[in-house]
Formats: sequence, structure tokens, C-alpha cells
Amino acid sequence: MQQAGGSQSSWVRQYAFYFDSSACSGCKACQAACKDKHDLPVNILWRRVYEIAGGNWTKSGNVWIPGVFSYYVSMACHQCAKPICGDGCPTKAIYKRQDGIVLLDTEACIGCRLCEWACPYGALQFDEASRLMTKCHFCFDYIDMGKPPACVAACPMRALDFGELADLRKKYGGTNQVFPLPEAALTEPALVIKPHRDAPRATRDTAEVANWEEI
Amino acid sequence: MTGLAWKEWPLVGFTLLSQAAVGAFWMVAGASFYLESASGWNSRYLTFPFLAAVVVVLGLAAAVSLFHLGRPWRAVFVLNNLKCSWLSREILFELVFMALAASLALLVLKKVYRPTLVRILVALAFAASVLFIISMAKLYMMRSVPAWHGLHTPLSFLGTTLLLGPLGAAFSHDTLLDLGRKARPFLDAAAIVALAAVVLILLTIFLFTPGLGFLGSKKATLLELPAARMYPYLLFRLLFLSGTVLCSFLYYRNPTSPLLTLAFLSALAAEAAGRLLFYAVYSRLGV
Repeated sequence: MQQAGGSQSSWVRQYAFYFDSSACSGCKACQAACKDKHDLPVNILWRRVYEIAGGNWTKSGNVWIPGVFSYYVSMACHQCAKPICGDGCPTKAIYKRQDGIVLLDTEACIGCRLCEWACPYGALQFDEASRLMTKCHFCFDYIDMGKPPACVAACPMRALDFGELADLRKKYGGTNQVFPLPEAALTEPALVIKPHRDAPRATRDTAEVANWEEI
Repeated sequence: MTGLAWKEWPLVGFTLLSQAAVGAFWMVAGASFYLESASGWNSRYLTFPFLAAVVVVLGLAAAVSLFHLGRPWRAVFVLNNLKCSWLSREILFELVFMALAASLALLVLKKVYRPTLVRILVALAFAASVLFIISMAKLYMMRSVPAWHGLHTPLSFLGTTLLLGPLGAAFSHDTLLDLGRKARPFLDAAAIVALAAVVLILLTIFLFTPGLGFLGSKKATLLELPAARMYPYLLFRLLFLSGTVLCSFLYYRNPTSPLLTLAFLSALAAEAAGRLLFYAVYSRLGV
């Protein structure tokens, strides 16, 4: 069971991730660090790096002008203010800690997978071996020791950060939605993003996730 | 297409069996109320075999649904979140409906003549079954899943309930009911309700099927609904719905029990295809 503690972070009201999409090189060190730290099985990725690709080449006279773009979005559980995953959970296995971290009580989970259907970030993932749901828990054990989450610590580009949501917003701004993330109003994710310069060009009709097979 | 459809066979089984049991109860209880004021132990409709069959089918549905769970032996925890979870409420109302149907069965078996009590139990069982079907639909109507969020879900479930229930009751009336020579009006009524259900189902298909219907959600999610791969389910459903209508019509012209059996089996196949299609169109917002 993921313990509800938070003694060392009780001053925090809502922990959040910051992701700098303009700095991310898509190296997936965050993904690997997460998988390593939690010894995650095959097919389970609590942090995933999506490669977004879009645009096209256009011909102007005899010249082809490149209009293609790509950028990365690194995502985990966003510890939402309105966790849609927990709303439907019939056993109250999904709950928020005092510091806003969304935890999953594996002793109460029955593996009905309703949360997996509901979460628009794909954060809830079913482990075929244990027959239970799994999710990112913000490395709450590290947090309680005063250390950063494994993914944040591993990022060589310093594209990931974490902290109190209000502080992150003050420091980096209030953006919490870029393509392909859903409308933030749906779950109010505790997330701050610095969008890639090409992110405004990306919509469902002009861009796509180019690495589905990796995630 | 997410591959969800066949993987969810326990939920296909659970929803179809539950809805068939509820629909049959509505049909038979309605007939009993209308024709004999649901008087009690000597009812031709609310017989012990019928009420016991409703309980058994609901129990079977619950048993099948356990195969969907990762940890089925923890299913007792499912009632822990009645305040927020439609899944908790769905199971609660199923259990209440089962308990009320079992109480009625016991009253009938013991030949207790308490017409008022029977009417109260029937009314409560009806209310519980309605709430059961509503909870079942609400559970799937998640804001993050546009394909299930609209009218398609409740109308599909209502259509299945009104099709399989009355046809199931008609199909099994020889065994479960005590209608004797007075079976014809009941069978005619069941056929009319079933035909109305077919019309409702056809309207639901053409208006609200995600990705295909005129008013259905289209291109709402990142993963497009691949219409071409939905067609086999859809054609299969339409084919068997036509079979149901044809067999019902032929039965009306020439009442023989194999035609009634065929009508019911055809409806069952149509609704199984429809339910597989329902799970096949799952696609959520975001990633």
C-alpha cells in the first residue's frame, strides 16, 4: 500500500510537476529513471515521453519549404485537483494526500479498471502480474525524505521540476495544457508547462503522436 | 479500435444478462399488475419459477462480471463508495433488486396471501431495477469518454432491456409462467414491446452511434473511431435484429414455439453484437 504520510511536506497544499517542453530533447531519461526506481514491469510506464509531429512541406515555385515541426511532452500522473480516476473508484482506493499527491491503495483496489478508462492522461495502468492498477505517486517516499522525484532528478536538460503548484505558477506561468493533453478544466491537473514554440500549431488535425509503439 | 471489445466479454455478459432479467421482470410484473393487480401466491405471472429465474440470471450476471476484476475475491469492497461511484451504486441496486425478487419468490413459494405486501415489493423491485439500469448507464457516461458520454449509452441499455426482457419472458413462458390457454395476449404484448424496442435501437444506431450516427460524437478524441472496423458489428446487429422482427411476425401468423425461440436467440445475438460495438468504440480524451 502507498502510505498516506507527508509529515515533511505538510506545508505544501498541492505538489505539482513543471515541464519545459522547449528544453526537452526526448532522451527519456525521466522515463527510464522512473521505471528503474519503481522496478516497473514491461508495458507499464508511469512517466511517458510523447513525441508530437506535424506540419508539412509546401511548394513555392521550384522550392519546397519545410513547415514540419516536432516536440516532446513528458507526462506522468498530474495529481489532479479533480481526480476523475478517483471519482468513479468503487472502493475509494484512489485518494489525495494532504499535500495533493494522488495515491492508490493497492490493498483496496479490486482491479475493475474503471480509473484506467477515465483518466485522460493514461496515468492509471493495469499490471497483468499483480492484477491491480498502478500509478505514479510522485515518488512520495523521496518527497518525505526531502529529495526530488526520480524523474526530476534524472533530467539532463532540467526540463522537469517540481514543487508547490502556486510557487511553480508564480515562477513559470499558468499554462497547463498543450496538444495532446486534454482540456485542463476536465481534471484540473497540478501541472505547469512551458510550451514548445511550435505547440500553438499543433492540433488534433495538424499533428499526431508519432511514437505510440514506444508508449 | 482499442481491442477493448472482446476483452470485455465479462461485461458484455453482465450487462446483457442483467438487462434481460430486468426487462423480463418489467414485462411480467406489468402484466401481473394490469391483469390481476399483482395479488400474490396464485398469480399466473409472478410465479415462483419466474421469480427464481430472475434471481438466478442476476446471480449469474454478477458471477460473470467477476471475471472482469483483477482481484475478484475483493469484490465485497465494491460498495465502499456509494457517495460518488456509479459502480458502487450499480451493484447496490442490483443486490436490492435481487433481494426483493427473492423475497417475492419466497412469498409465492410459501403461498402467503398478502396482496398489499406483494404490491409494495413489486413496486420497490421495479424502482430498484430502474435505478440499477440508470446506474449501469451512468457508470459508462464518463466526461473523458465522449463515445459513451452521450445519449447512446442510456438508450442502448434501455433498448436491450426492452428487447431481451419481454422476448425472454415470452420464450420461457411455457416453463416459467402459468398462463395456460391465456398466453396469447401476453405474448402479443411482449411482441409489441419488443418491436418498440427494435425501433428504439434502430433510432439509437442511426442517430447516436459514436463516429457513425448523425448526432453521435465524431472525431472527439485523439484516437479516431475507425468506422470501417465498426461495420461488421453493426451489420451483424442489423441482420439479427431483422431476424428477430421476421421470426416475431411469422410467429404472429403461425404460433409455433421454435419461431419464438428463434426470435429470442436472434435478439440475443443482435444485442451481443451491439454490446461488443459499444465497448469497441471506447476512446478517451487526451492520451
